[in-house]
Amino acid sequence: MSQTEMTITVGHDVIMEASPYGIDKKKLGMWIFIVSDACTFGAFLFAYGYMRIGAPVWGTPFGFSSILNGLLMTAVLLSSSLTMLAAVRASQENQKESANKWLGITMLLGSIFAVLHLREWFHLFGEGWRLFSNPTGGAVQFGATFFSVTGLHLTHVVTGVIALAFVARGYIQGRYDQSHIETAGLYWHFVDLVWMFVFPFMYLMNAR
Amino acid sequence: MSSNHELGMSSYVGIGVGLMLIVTVEVILTYQHFAPRTLLFALLCLACLEAYIAIMYLMHVKYERPILYWTIFPATLFVLVFLCYLLPDAFRMFNMRLLK
Repeated sequence: MSQTEMTITVGHDVIMEASPYGIDKKKLGMWIFIVSDACTFGAFLFAYGYMRIGAPVWGTPFGFSSILNGLLMTAVLLSSSLTMLAAVRASQENQKESANKWLGITMLLGSIFAVLHLREWFHLFGEGWRLFSNPTGGAVQFGATFFSVTGLHLTHVVTGVIALAFVARGYIQGRYDQSHIETAGLYWHFVDLVWMFVFPFMYLMNAR
Repeated sequence: MSSNHELGMSSYVGIGVGLMLIVTVEVILTYQHFAPRTLLFALLCLACLEAYIAIMYLMHVKYERPILYWTIFPATLFVLVFLCYLLPDAFRMFNMRLLK
């Protein structure tokens, strides 16, 4: 039986068949976005692997201090996932003030992550690494792949912070409900998830 | 959220700590001076474990209907794994440079 045939009309109201996924349409839309974005990051990381295998000499610019910085960035991002979960939980219990407080903390942690990220970038710039140059004379592709992958991730973090600010504002004003916070949370966890691959491949595999 | 079987916040904190421990293990492994191929394999396995935990618990897929999981993940994994069919060409490129 087709979707149209399953449609039932009661008076003037049309009752549609429920989603087989049993989730809100915003959440389903976010899942579809996440799948496409996962493929984008997958392609970027694959390109990095391809260029690294093909290059006879590859740069390893990260000393222990950079790895510690990366570890700190991971801790900050993981903590922000937990505060996001707290915001979702508070919104489900209709505790608006608490939900906004946790959203604020999540945005703050996201901003701290971005600052730490930029600090690492400027440290590399100081050593002479650029998008298309390698100060050690090895493969120039390191800069191209590192700044592309981490830049794309940083863009996602900054976009996420801005999106959370919009959602928090809408939630305070009553335009948005808990499903919006939950959908934004799904995106935020995805950003965290991507970092779980970016950190070992881009940082740890290039440690001195 | 589709279910009432979700974990409490203390359990989520435990999951966060567990994920952080896995990352710490990754850092420790990095300084054990394994061959790059061995290190890559170990890091990839640990990253996949982290991703599985994050998807199932932080993104709540464990508490959604199984159809969501079966619709999304096999196809995505197939695409990501299928990307690797080009990798042998990278080895060819590397060997060509060595012969130069």
